[in-house]
Amino acid sequence: MILSTVTLLPLVFALIIALWPAEKTLRHLALGLSLIEFFVSVFMLVKFNPHTADLQMVERYTWIERFGISYFLGLDGLSLWLVMLTTFLTPIVLLGAWNAIENRVRGFLVCMMILQTAMVGTFLAMDAIFFYLFWELSLVPMYFMVGIWGGTRRIYATVKFFIFTMFGSVLMLVAIIYMMFLTQESSGTMSASLLEFYKLKIPFVGGQFLSLQTLLFFAFALAFAIKVPAFPFHTWLPDAHVEAPTPGSVILAGVMLKMGTYGFMRWVIPLFPEASEYWAWLFMSIGVIGIIYGALVAMVQPDIKKLVAYSSVSHMGYVLIGLFAFNEFGAAGSLYQMLNHGISTGALFLLVGMIYERTHSREISRYGGLAAVLPLFTIAFFVVTLSSIAVPMTNGFVGEFLILLGAFKAQVWVASIAVLGVILGAVYMLWMFKRVFFGEPGELVGDKQHPLHDLSLREIVVLAPMAVMIFWMGLAPNQFLSMSQESLRHWVEHRTNYELNIAGDASTVSGEQK
Amino acid sequence: MNSYFTLLDIIRVSPLIILFLSSLIPITIKVLRGNQEQSPEATLIQGLGGILAAALLTMTVRAVAVDPASASVFSGALTIDGLTFWTWMLVLLSAATALTMMYDNPATNGDQFSELTFLTLSSVLGMLILAAATDLVIVFIGLETMSLALYLMIAMSHEQKLSKEAAFKYFVLGSFASAIFLYGISFLFGTAGSTSIPEIMALTGQLIVTNRLFVFGIALVMLGFCFKVSIAPFHAWTPDVYQGAPTPHTALMATAVKATCFAAFLRIILTKSLVGSESLFNFLQWLAVITMLVGNVAAIVQNNFKRMLAYSSIAHSGYLLVGVITAGVSDHTAFGTGGVMFYLLGYSLMSLGAFAIVSLMEKNETTSVQIDGLAGYARKRPLMALCLTVFLLSMAGVPPTIGFFGKFYLFASAVGEGLIWLTVWGVLNSVISAYYYLRPIVVMYMQDGDAEEATHPMHATRMAILAAAFLVVALGILSGPIFTVVERAM
Repeated sequence: MILSTVTLLPLVFALIIALWPAEKTLRHLALGLSLIEFFVSVFMLVKFNPHTADLQMVERYTWIERFGISYFLGLDGLSLWLVMLTTFLTPIVLLGAWNAIENRVRGFLVCMMILQTAMVGTFLAMDAIFFYLFWELSLVPMYFMVGIWGGTRRIYATVKFFIFTMFGSVLMLVAIIYMMFLTQESSGTMSASLLEFYKLKIPFVGGQFLSLQTLLFFAFALAFAIKVPAFPFHTWLPDAHVEAPTPGSVILAGVMLKMGTYGFMRWVIPLFPEASEYWAWLFMSIGVIGIIYGALVAMVQPDIKKLVAYSSVSHMGYVLIGLFAFNEFGAAGSLYQMLNHGISTGALFLLVGMIYERTHSREISRYGGLAAVLPLFTIAFFVVTLSSIAVPMTNGFVGEFLILLGAFKAQVWVASIAVLGVILGAVYMLWMFKRVFFGEPGELVGDKQHPLHDLSLREIVVLAPMAVMIFWMGLAPNQFLSMSQESLRHWVEHRTNYELNIAGDASTVSGEQK
Repeated sequence: MNSYFTLLDIIRVSPLIILFLSSLIPITIKVLRGNQEQSPEATLIQGLGGILAAALLTMTVRAVAVDPASASVFSGALTIDGLTFWTWMLVLLSAATALTMMYDNPATNGDQFSELTFLTLSSVLGMLILAAATDLVIVFIGLETMSLALYLMIAMSHEQKLSKEAAFKYFVLGSFASAIFLYGISFLFGTAGSTSIPEIMALTGQLIVTNRLFVFGIALVMLGFCFKVSIAPFHAWTPDVYQGAPTPHTALMATAVKATCFAAFLRIILTKSLVGSESLFNFLQWLAVITMLVGNVAAIVQNNFKRMLAYSSIAHSGYLLVGVITAGVSDHTAFGTGGVMFYLLGYSLMSLGAFAIVSLMEKNETTSVQIDGLAGYARKRPLMALCLTVFLLSMAGVPPTIGFFGKFYLFASAVGEGLIWLTVWGVLNSVISAYYYLRPIVVMYMQDGDAEEATHPMHATRMAILAAAFLVVALGILSGPIFTVVERAM
């Protein structure tokens, strides 16, 4: 029951919030509820058994018998930390955005809760149609969040976000339906279960685009690449991120982008091993282009939020490279980088939101000399910057190092170019840091209309867990990675004949090695 | 052949009889009262009572008096099978909702409401005949009964200009389509020697290859239906008629009429003429693609909400045609027909809801609801705005609404028959459609304005909207068993 609780509890919370009588205490209520959700997920983490790659805490009920679609939730090392990331960020976002959302608070909190269900469900669903349901459902609350509470160009941004993502996912739907018929052909009964999909042997012809596995591969990969977003499909991201309200940006960057890379990890690579291997060069190149292009574009942004948004494109490029390196370092690094990016970029968006609340401006050129006026804020920003540019001892270093290690083992040329991204990352972040915090006091410093005051207690409480995580994950990566190690090893070693067993299933226990 | 019908036949068509009798009640009362309109509530109750009685009888007949082996009535003129049953239920549901809207809508309430109720029930009677007909001549009779009543209903609107144009346009083009249909029947009769669909079906496999006149005839019959369900390029009447007709009538045309015509279309397609004729098969596929594109692309540029919904209705006909083609080429016909039927159920629920919202916003008979006029609606009427959002997202095919599962079943059966490129066209079109379905939501929630509603409260319509929105979500989540029941019935 624990997975259902984690997934569906926010939906219940959304209902409670919608019916809560007192307008004044809505924020307190939502924060409290999201903390309950976090503790439930901690309980799930405690119960998780790290010594097996099998699917745990499985819940499976037939939903649509005719097509073999089931309500199917399961947890393994690949999804564990992403669920934790989601439940960890939500209370932080709610507290961090205490004053960012001023009107229609109730609607906003309801959207947040529905979104949480959709995200957790995406990570836990093990049935293709059930997965698709959450995947598409996540669009709706985010669409409203950007569209109602966003900036000036919010409507353009939100419609673009919706259409782009939907375009990718409908082709995936056709591919899913096709694969359901393949399961019927091979086993006699139709099934939408991912475990059945893994068992399929889909014929692959190298060099021929119009062959079955290649087409299915691209139908899935397109959907996930748009979500990541990989290089040519990234154009919705700066718009959506910049126009979204702070909590929307944090969730979008922190969790929703991971739905794309998780998709590659869980669906694309194990389902289509030959095609993935054949087209690895393409996705490696896309990753490398994303790293360099994102960093270069970030460098010239006059707007802090846009800079952070483009840095996401760059960081997510690493994740793609790590995944398509097909070795343990790359895979572990990618998983770690997903978490890092969620924390560091989430924190950056929160910090940008905090300074925006004070000055109502995000233009780098209007800042300068903030360090003297806002010491605490400067320290917090500096810590997060360190994480973002992957300085050793922070979490960012571990992820990028592992990915580059994996990439060197797989493709030296890819790694050599990707290393440039590390330097470029340091350049744009530190340069921005210099312009905002040092030098001559900018026009916004000492502006009577927008008095600058340092971090409040609430903001410190918001940022403290992020800072703790940055160093904790940087100093003791094994505590986190060991939980996923078995799953990652299984993922790498059995890439060409990937199958997942359900833990405790009588028919599979005997086959276990350990 | 000394007796043409038995008591069993009469029992089986008893829903038709009861509907006909109850349609007479309001106008008879009006005549007896010396041409004085009785209270509209009483008329509404009589109309809804007739529909409810017909629905209950349909269910009873299905449970008691029909065995699957011989479901035919009047020597094969009508057939009360699963397809008939589900279409009847759908038509009666849509008609009940539309009648409720007529009671509230300024263009249709007030004087002459009893005549309108009579015409509505007569039109529904025509639909029921059409949905059950398995003889081409009876198909034609059903089609004309339905259409003639509709022409009059539209022309009766209190609105003076657009509705008259709509009625005339619908009449001229509808008659044109009927003529084409009749012309097609004559060829079929000439080549197959019968107008009974089962008998034609038995000969199709042979005639479709050897006899070009037969192919010509069946193509013309199909074109007649393409007119009626607004398949491009025969769709040109749809936007004007949907926009000009009073909104409740539009709701009736978009749901009940469309469902019936598709049911009859299915009966023609199930003759398996597509299997024998490659060119007919390709032709229909192209029509489906063109229809989806025309409907969706044209809907993007509309500012009038009803006109946008009209184009979206054309696009939905395109999706449905994919299902019809699937049923036409499939060996397990139940798969395709079940998909079409379920989609029609979903589409009817969301269309009824969306048109009911339009009806709510009409202050008087000349109001035309613009999309920009929805600005600020979410603040003014949060619940209604939420319902409209549900309907629009369902039309766009966002899970877990019934619109998503309708598309899923439809496209799943198409993929199962190997119509993959057609499916890809279908899903890409639903992305295009998302663009214009999002627009009213954007306007409602994200723009400030002063959305206007009709001054009288319209409780009945509001109830219908809430029920439809609930069903769109609930039947979406619980779609599995329902689809199985529908499919087994086919």
